[in-house]
Amino acid sequence: MRPTTPLLLITVLQGLSGGITLAIAAFSFLLPPASDSILRNALLLSFAIAVIGGISSFFHMHRPQAGKYILRRLKTSWLSREALTTGIYAMILGVVALGPLVLPVNSWWYWVGGVLASIAALAAMFVTAMLYATIPAMRSWHSPLTVLSMMAVGLSSGGYAMLALLGESHLAAAVHRLAIFMLLATIVVAGVKLLQWKLFRDARRSLNAATGTGMPRAPYRIIDTGTTRPPYHTQTQVWPDLPVSLRGGLEAVVVLTMVLLPLGVIVATLDGTGAGLLTVLGAISFLFGTFVERWLFFGDATHSSKVWFVDQEKVGSRVATNRPSPALVHRFRNM
Amino acid sequence: MQLTIITDLNKCVGCKSCQVSCKEHNTAGAFGPVPDNDPYRDPDGMWWNRIVGMETGEYPNAGVLYLPKACMHCYDAPCVPVCPTGASYKRQDNGVVLVDYDSCIGCQLCMWACPYGVREFDEEHGVVKKCTMCIDRLEDESLPDYERQPACVQSCPTHARTFGDLDDPESKVSQLVAQRQGFGLLPELGARPAVHYLPRRPAPVVIDEKDVLRVMEERY
Ligand code: SF4
Ligand code: SF4
Ligand code: SF4
Repeated sequence: MRPTTPLLLITVLQGLSGGITLAIAAFSFLLPPASDSILRNALLLSFAIAVIGGISSFFHMHRPQAGKYILRRLKTSWLSREALTTGIYAMILGVVALGPLVLPVNSWWYWVGGVLASIAALAAMFVTAMLYATIPAMRSWHSPLTVLSMMAVGLSSGGYAMLALLGESHLAAAVHRLAIFMLLATIVVAGVKLLQWKLFRDARRSLNAATGTGMPRAPYRIIDTGTTRPPYHTQTQVWPDLPVSLRGGLEAVVVLTMVLLPLGVIVATLDGTGAGLLTVLGAISFLFGTFVERWLFFGDATHSSKVWFVDQEKVGSRVATNRPSPALVHRFRNM
Repeated sequence: MQLTIITDLNKCVGCKSCQVSCKEHNTAGAFGPVPDNDPYRDPDGMWWNRIVGMETGEYPNAGVLYLPKACMHCYDAPCVPVCPTGASYKRQDNGVVLVDYDSCIGCQLCMWACPYGVREFDEEHGVVKKCTMCIDRLEDESLPDYERQPACVQSCPTHARTFGDLDDPESKVSQLVAQRQGFGLLPELGARPAVHYLPRRPAPVVIDEKDVLRVMEERY
């Protein structure tokens, strides 16, 4: 389908913000304590990112004046639920991030708010991923892999951002612990992405004009898609097939920026010498890779209606030919 | 009641009369408009009914098949539950699936959810539009009876299209589907389309007792 900037921003930034919030929670409750001021800065950063994501969601609505109806179908619509959970998450996060300006920190409200923000972050990320995974017509997305991949990528992007904040402050013990965690997370991301790309390929191959007619006289070749042509202006669920070289090139960029470069940073960080600027580069590289990965997620997705839009390989006619028939040539020669 | 349109693929000659009359009626119709901003330079704009043309089979057993494709007014329309604002809805009284443009936010989620790719996004109005089964004609009591049917059905020169209530076992459409093995597209996606097609095979000849007696009398 057509990848749009608001969709890229909403999904990537929501994952990034949720990932940072959960990393802060991990440091507050599970990992060796990082400095309070770093955690508070991280909270502000997470909130700012969530706000930018929220603003970009307004640009995805083409009629924001009807936005007031968006919670009408909470019972069935994952988009209604996404609006609710993301809104709740941003509100709680706002209180926790901005509260210290007027309220004492390290008191009960701060910890309760932190726990609630973490739960809301997980819920918002899950609901957003389910929105895509529960559409049977989107053959490439209709799988638990969509949820796994979006959650893993979101959490990892937040983890790398947190690593950069800690790396800059030279907190060796905290950096070391987080680096080990990110090593595992990056391996998980790589595995899930490879499986997901295979699913995308299978979805692409399983759809062709023959599957779209329900009739046995196969094979079929589309000769007229009914007054439409790429880039399908009014039909955003389909998108022209990506050229093989572009798809391969972008996948290579994802592997390089989301797996190889960040892993290099982790290895350099594990022995305690590579922190600082290197962790910042690792976070930037992963975030860049996340945008490319998300572009591919949208742009390379196969919708079931593609069976009628398919730009199938042209098969030459067996009857019409430019070459003179040998039988005719023979006849003319002997006239 | 579930209103539907049945297309006999043996009769459809791909003339696109239904495609054009749909656009013509709905560009001016009460439930439109189908935008037509730049019809001469951009004829690939919005169409609620598109005729897909295909070559079938392998030479020498090749043929051409035309598949008129518009909203299937599905029984379990996947475009409806995904809509966050309730703008997409299915009418209880006649099964027609419609969009309320006033509450549509243009998120296009319904376009991703529809398996058939028959919803169209109007960039100018920021809403999703689609076939309404010409609901404005069906419900306009000032029209003569023969006009109270979808424009595509009325305009088909080969009478390939039949309109009626699929839930009524006595209706013409129900009988056509039952007798001629009418089928819906992409059944594996579970939308249960109401729109059916009659497959391309010779129509079974129905002979009753009267016919037999008549022929016997004429010949023997
Ligand atoms: S064909 Fe598509 S738009 Fe029409 S009712 Fe079915 S799912 Fe909805
Ligand atoms: S585009 Fe409109 S009709 Fe479609 S899901 Fe969004 S709000 Fe509903
Ligand atoms: S008007 Fe009738 S014959 Fe012509 S394309 Fe439509 S269904 Fe087929």
